[in-house]
Amino acid sequence: MGKLRQQVNKWLMQNLDLPADVVMDLPRITMIGQIHIYIENHRGVKAFSNEQLALKLKQGTLLIKGSDFVIKTILPEEILLEGTITSVYFEND
Amino acid sequence: MKNKWSHNLKGNIRVEIIGQESSAFINSCLASGIQIWDIQPLENERVLASLSVVDFQNVRKLLKEKKLKIRIKEKNGTPFLLRKIWKRNGFLIGMISFIVILFLLSNMIWNINVTGANPKTEYQLKKAAVELGITKGKLIFLLPNVREIQRQLTEKMENVTWIGVTRHGTTYRFEVVQKEIPKEKPITGPSHLVATKKALIHSMFVEKGQPVIAVNDYVQKGSLLVSGFIGKEKKTKLVSAKGKVYGEVWYETKVSVPLSTSFQTYTGKYKNRHYLSLFGLDIPVYGFSEGEFKTKTEIINETPLYLAKWKTPFSYLKKEIRETDGVKRSYTKKEAIAVGKKMAKKELLKKIPADAKINGEKVLLQNESNGKVTLTMLYQVIENIASVQPIPIQQGE
Repeated sequence: MGKLRQQVNKWLMQNLDLPADVVMDLPRITMIGQIHIYIENHRGVKAFSNEQLALKLKQGTLLIKGSDFVIKTILPEEILLEGTITSVYFEND
Repeated sequence: MKNKWSHNLKGNIRVEIIGQESSAFINSCLASGIQIWDIQPLENERVLASLSVVDFQNVRKLLKEKKLKIRIKEKNGTPFLLRKIWKRNGFLIGMISFIVILFLLSNMIWNINVTGANPKTEYQLKKAAVELGITKGKLIFLLPNVREIQRQLTEKMENVTWIGVTRHGTTYRFEVVQKEIPKEKPITGPSHLVATKKALIHSMFVEKGQPVIAVNDYVQKGSLLVSGFIGKEKKTKLVSAKGKVYGEVWYETKVSVPLSTSFQTYTGKYKNRHYLSLFGLDIPVYGFSEGEFKTKTEIINETPLYLAKWKTPFSYLKKEIRETDGVKRSYTKKEAIAVGKKMAKKELLKKIPADAKINGEKVLLQNESNGKVTLTMLYQVIENIASVQPIPIQQGE
């Protein structure tokens, strides 16, 4: 069933020009150079330290690495991280 | 970030959370709707974060559940700023009291100047002013205004023609014009006595001089009464004639009395209202009831307030509301005549000298028209009609 819905959503996105983050409940990530990263649609913090932030997503985990991390703002679905970002990974589990 | 202002307004604190599982703490904060921001991880499992003062109690509960320690590092925002200011309230009190004192001192009477009065009048004037409340150290805005003071002082002072009251900042200046009663110059040279008015001679008492008229003579204004020439022919001598000649003088007085008059009187009931006026906006301070008067008059007394020499936009306003009463007075014709006679007599007494005697009165004319009674009264008054007229000395004789 879930598979089918995903298929439908994918089709909707591709053929009806709907934004993917809305249709498929995916995170929207905005980065400003290396210094800011803004993630919408996350599902909570998994781990947080100076060099790393792990965010729960609907599917999998988002792993952000870098240094001097500070969470500027955190709201139930949004997070703004400041620091020097070196890499953004998606981990599927 | 976007509501930094609201954070500052409500006050926020920066805390250090000691213990593990900082991410779990962040998640539970999110779940219970507590806003935290500027989360900064430190070494040894410590996290620095900011949160609103309002949420502090909730955060503490949460931390107790999770067995974490909290330490407050910084306090920011208005509530803490106010507390800080309050701690240094000496400054604040000083500033406010400075303004208050400056305000009071610049609205106080510091000096009272009297010009144009001799010491006796000055003393009397100062005494009268004290009765009105004008003394050094009184607050100006509690006193009646300058015009009112002038009126009351002029009423109180007897030997003064006019008092000018002006206020220059904190100084009241009274300018006095004293009544100058001219001294009668004794006439030493030879003189006659002449009549001041048309009159019938009633009696006379001549000390010096030669009377040229007799009792019951009729004299015109300026006619000779007592001559300064005495002695027989060719042996005449000049003296200054002296004496009193009483003549019967006729006075005509016309008065008209309306049969019915309506006029307003104060009933004596009044209400005072006090306002603080700012840019023409009157803010009631004391006295809020209008007083349930059917008919009333209002007297408004405004005093601008000064700070040092500058006029502030504030002024003190006193409104006096007095109840008035419409009274209707009506006379019958008989009463009107009686009143008219009284009025005419009063009028007459103003005209005649103090030592004159009223010998008789007559109603000359009396008519009633347009609701008015008009009386023409004739009075016979006996008064001294003699006045001194010097005799010019002919040169070269």
